[in-house]
Amino acid sequence: MAGDIALSVDHLVKSFRIHQQKTNSLKQLIAARGRNRYDDFVAVDDVTFDVREGEVFGIIGQNGSGKSTLLKCMAGILQPNSGTVQVFRRMGALLELGAGFHPELTGRENIFLNAAILGMGRREIALRFDEIVDFSGLHTFIDQPVKTYSSGMYVRLAFAVAINVDPQLLIVDEILAVGDVSFQRRCLEKFVEFRSEGRTIVLVTHDMGSVKNLCDRAIWLEHGKAIDEGDPADLVEAYTERMLGGAAPAADGSVRRGSGEIRITEVEMFTQGDPTPVKRCRTSDSIVLRLHYQAEKTVPQPVIGIEIQSLGGATVTAPNTRDVGMVPPNMSGTGVVDITIPRVDLLPGTYDLHTSITDFNRAYVYDHVQLALRFDVMTGKPYETGGLVTMRPQWSLS
Amino acid sequence: MAHRNLLYLLSLKELRTRYKKSVLGWAWSLLNPISQMLIFTIIFTYVFGQNPLAGDPSGLKNFPLYFLCGLLPWNFFAITTSTAMGNVQNGAGLIKKVTFPHEHLVFSVVVAQFVTLLIETIILFVALTLAGQTPLVWLPILLVLYGLWALFTTGVALALSAANVFFHDVQYLWSIVSQLLFYATPVIYFIPLIKLDALRNVANYGPTGSFIVAFHDVLYDGRMPSIARVGYLAVLAAFTLAAGAWIFGKLSPRFAEQM
Repeated sequence: MAGDIALSVDHLVKSFRIHQQKTNSLKQLIAARGRNRYDDFVAVDDVTFDVREGEVFGIIGQNGSGKSTLLKCMAGILQPNSGTVQVFRRMGALLELGAGFHPELTGRENIFLNAAILGMGRREIALRFDEIVDFSGLHTFIDQPVKTYSSGMYVRLAFAVAINVDPQLLIVDEILAVGDVSFQRRCLEKFVEFRSEGRTIVLVTHDMGSVKNLCDRAIWLEHGKAIDEGDPADLVEAYTERMLGGAAPAADGSVRRGSGEIRITEVEMFTQGDPTPVKRCRTSDSIVLRLHYQAEKTVPQPVIGIEIQSLGGATVTAPNTRDVGMVPPNMSGTGVVDITIPRVDLLPGTYDLHTSITDFNRAYVYDHVQLALRFDVMTGKPYETGGLVTMRPQWSLS
Repeated sequence: MAHRNLLYLLSLKELRTRYKKSVLGWAWSLLNPISQMLIFTIIFTYVFGQNPLAGDPSGLKNFPLYFLCGLLPWNFFAITTSTAMGNVQNGAGLIKKVTFPHEHLVFSVVVAQFVTLLIETIILFVALTLAGQTPLVWLPILLVLYGLWALFTTGVALALSAANVFFHDVQYLWSIVSQLLFYATPVIYFIPLIKLDALRNVANYGPTGSFIVAFHDVLYDGRMPSIARVGYLAVLAAFTLAAGAWIFGKLSPRFAEQM
């Protein structure tokens, strides 16, 4: 059945009325009668596309580009102003995990209730119950009220239910970004399993890596309009360029974003105790990366991180101070952060260094410098012709 | 199929969570009408010095039982309508994120409250039997009347909870209107004792009054309500339900946007 249309969106338009004053009471309505001015905000503007059976379809775009609105129209939560959405397969929409969980009910009761809300019959749920509990890994807690669950447990249970609804067409909004690393991996595995079973997936995400890796096709929304559609790799490249382009690159080619309370003003690299900064080193060299910072005001618990990327876009390493438990209570004024790398395991090539300073939760970005330093690694020891890093293999032939 | 399951589980949730954190739990749902009944009995007997009218032909002459016969169904109506409004409003998180039939948020309240009404009615039957009545004879017709009453209540609850999403005033307005309705309904008084003709007609044929009269016929007087009244109630229930369903159906696609 490959090639059949699983979902079809045809000239979809969705606009919202932005009232100067939201009228939720009769008094306001009467008081504003005739004078209640509003603007129409077009969130999704004449979007048309088909999702074919068995493909993973990505939707990319900035915040506010209409992705979520489009998704909600597809899921039938919002009614479009004009145009149509036709769904030809059993659809499951995962827009929020655990919507409808009741804190006073036990995990078991919530599984039944949540699955029913997602459209499953009782016998079907009973059949899948064990599988759901297995996937969540919450066997010992299943008869406890979910209010006693940690947020991680809550999300695990919710995802376990959602993924077992067994949709032929799955609509997912950013939810792969929840849970700890091992759970995220399990979700991703489930996802890949879904794909290999030939189910159709529509995915909205900010994670360009997963768009490139998972999607067969993608659409790019901007201000509610579909401005491009096609191969995800090309789209992601164009999108990334546009996003970074918007941030105005500096003379040295670096691109800075973030709120700017604290900034990395300069990045230098030194090799083997040589006091002059360099832009190249050799495999196995000992290097020091020196980040100069300047804070406009005192910043609490900043997490400083770097990321080293190959020219091909692969992240080789991305350490930060939180991972090693070295987050200062606050930072102010100016100073330097030295990162000593005793032995560079990179193989010859050109690498880009990006820096970031965020808050403790890694959510709020004070400063992010894309391409803070570009450096070359030259042939050293050991030398290998393929790959990015050396793992210093010991060969023995017999 | 799946949606029937949803209704079942939502109703179960309503029943399970209502008294989850209270010590007396379910007893509260019984204590509420009993305390109301005691208050009215004391006021009418000792403050106003009234005597209850005798049921015809049952001969029953008892304030507490008369009050309970009207209070239990009245409370069903009043609690269902106000809880349904809250339930839809509290369902915002769900409505904005999941596609499901929104009316189940109302139906589940009706079902849960109806179960409560039936349990309370069992207790009332025990009390009536102890007072020398034979209420079981009237069970079939009572269930028909209860059914019509539930349909009527569902219609009102649907209309109110849909309107309340758009204007939160509706819930405050309704708490006043339902109080007025309570006094316009012969729950705590006897219709023959009303002095003013107009008021007697309101109590007898008003939308809620006409139901309560039928409940009194069956439970207190021990007689069959007139066919004309049952017919009137059926039309009233059908019309109210249809109107409520129409309003809800019109408005519910816009819930997610409005919430």
